[in-house]
Amino acid sequence: MVGRPLEETELVERAKRGDHRAYGELVHAYQGIAFRTAYLVVRNAAEAEDAAQEGFVKAFRALGRFRTGEPFRPWLLKIVVNEARNRLRSSARRDALALRATAERPSGEAAPSPEAALLDAERRELLLAAVEALPEPMRLVISCRYFLDLSEEETASALGLRRGTVKSRTSRALERLREIYA
Amino acid sequence: MPELELELREVGRLVAFPPEPDLVPAVRDRLVERPVFGRRRLLLVAFAALAVAVAAAFSVPPARTAILRFFHIGGETVERVEKLPPAERRSPVAGLAGPMSLSEARDRAGFEPLLPPRHGRIYAADGILATYLRPRVVLSEFRADISLSKKVAGPDTRIQPVTVNGHFGLWMQGAPHVITYFDSQARGHDKVVRLAGNVLVWSQGSLTLRLEGPVTRGEALRVAKTVG
Repeated sequence: MVGRPLEETELVERAKRGDHRAYGELVHAYQGIAFRTAYLVVRNAAEAEDAAQEGFVKAFRALGRFRTGEPFRPWLLKIVVNEARNRLRSSARRDALALRATAERPSGEAAPSPEAALLDAERRELLLAAVEALPEPMRLVISCRYFLDLSEEETASALGLRRGTVKSRTSRALERLREIYA
Repeated sequence: MPELELELREVGRLVAFPPEPDLVPAVRDRLVERPVFGRRRLLLVAFAALAVAVAAAFSVPPARTAILRFFHIGGETVERVEKLPPAERRSPVAGLAGPMSLSEARDRAGFEPLLPPRHGRIYAADGILATYLRPRVVLSEFRADISLSKKVAGPDTRIQPVTVNGHFGLWMQGAPHVITYFDSQARGHDKVVRLAGNVLVWSQGSLTLRLEGPVTRGEALRVAKTVG
């Protein structure tokens, strides 16, 4: 057993030397974001799981090329997104994104009236639909930035884009969303 | 951070991602194997059931507050209000001239309409054109750049986002809503205010299209597919 969580750099170093247990900890730490990222690309839970799993396996085999000290997450997500894109050609059913029914309020904020809550729900549903209607490249950038909370830099790495492209694509997409959602 | 970005984050927090799988055992098993290809696994997905639950939650008639929002689709604005302005039931082609031939309608409206293979008589005014597809079901369309239309929906009208021929659209159903239209130059004809029933609104190219009448959402979407 490992006594306390090790720093990412240390885990990566150990994994590079072939320590499967250390790599298992990295998988554990990043499987959520890897799965959700893949899901936003393929829109199918089984395909997303396969893509994330394959991504982790490929990343392990490519660790020799990973520069120690760099952040692991964006490097991993790039591999996962490539795996997910390779699966887009399959005929698997694609889900539309849906929202969970209830919202937790940040503590300290008054609970809205039931009427206001319903209104909020409708507003969010329409905004999500507007995002879904965006052209694919814009949709992916918006999803990474706002749904996965990735930084501009991480989004660029995951999607294989330049940072400037992420910036301009984000602002064009926001403009487009403002046109239909004022 | 601007409001839209905050709202996008809020939406992101509420996206119903499928349950996160535990990949650790499978990945660790595979680290000891030689590379293999095309590993596929079946997964039971509770997601469909969840999506149904979410849809059910949203099917409650929304809000009785005054705030509300605007949604824009091409030249159409949809506004939610607490109380509808006064309006009466009028023909869906009220304010338009006709019936007339397709070429006359084209000239009068000033654009090339998108029509399904089978349609009825055509009515038109500056920047707007309408045709009956069957009794009480009317397809109207207008150029988003020269014509404007506004819908005002009260609390008992449901508004749902839909995708129509790959474009963003809205389906409005339930209590009648009030519709107002006029051409931007307001030449010659008055602003028309009337009550409308179920409506599908979407935009295609430079046109905004509206299918109105006693139809279900599914029927409306099927008809919309034949337009173009």
